[in-house]
Amino acid sequence: MKPLTSLVIGMALLVATVPPVLGAQGKPLNVTGMHNLTFGAVFPGVPRVISRTDPANAGQYDVGYSKFAPIQITFALPAVMNGPAGATMPLVFGANDGGYSSPETITSQVGFDPRVAFATTLDKNGRAAVFLGGTAQPLASQRAGNYTATITMTVTVLP
Amino acid sequence: MRISKLSLAVLALVISASAVQAQTNNASITATAAVQTPINVVGAQQLNFGNVFPGVNKTVAATDLTNAGRFDVTGQASTPVTLSFTLPATLSSGANTMPIDTYTGISALNSAQTGGVAFNPVTGATPTLSGTGALFVWIGARVTPATNQAQGTYTANVTMTVVY
Repeated sequence: MKPLTSLVIGMALLVATVPPVLGAQGKPLNVTGMHNLTFGAVFPGVPRVISRTDPANAGQYDVGYSKFAPIQITFALPAVMNGPAGATMPLVFGANDGGYSSPETITSQVGFDPRVAFATTLDKNGRAAVFLGGTAQPLASQRAGNYTATITMTVTVLP
Repeated sequence: MRISKLSLAVLALVISASAVQAQTNNASITATAAVQTPINVVGAQQLNFGNVFPGVNKTVAATDLTNAGRFDVTGQASTPVTLSFTLPATLSSGANTMPIDTYTGISALNSAQTGGVAFNPVTGATPTLSGTGALFVWIGARVTPATNQAQGTYTANVTMTVVY
């Protein structure tokens, strides 16, 4: 009975030493938020559109994993931004607001709809950048102040 | 032998758990915006022609601080706005009408009209709010009563729309 206990403990230690997120080639799946989606000054009643190709204001995530790995990208897109005293401001994403870039440059993107899952394959470097645009739609009576929302991107490795 | 079977089972569990765990990861960014002060417009003073006599045209200049119509605007400091107007072609008194035309406009950053800038209300204007977010707009015009203009009090609405 004693050898059995030792073996089980040994396996448990082995599990603990394995990195939590590993690819087929032993590389971790990294997803990093690189740049916020910034609307800047917004005026009541005037929609503010940020293009995914706007280098100063578009949101950006970086993805790193094994080369040629098939992945799927999904977003949790908030419908509003939260402001002062419980005020909210509509936030809208369109069918072309997502951009995928294997060379990781904002000037070389393939557009996609961030509202639905996007499947692609990492390149030989196993890296990519994902850009995100959107539209803030303040009401004519929108309360003045700072508004924020969290946008989460999830990357899933496809079998 | 019992130990070997158990080891394999544990190992399989470990491999399975690692494989599942390797499939997904996520990250978040923040969307940010700074909403500026809303525009507020008040009709501060009527465009007042006073007594008008049949057959005698009368003009109120936009520079006439007493009789020109005035709108007061507040909003985000030092920000350009676009002014547009709905300008009536006639004043009405019941079923009777009297022509009104030749609109003039002045915008300024203070109520004394100091440094005012003239503009044509028909085409609008794009002034910039003051450092405290204020703007004052005056409207003048001309009425042309007919020689047989019916007696009465004639009115119409002049509407100014302001957008960023």
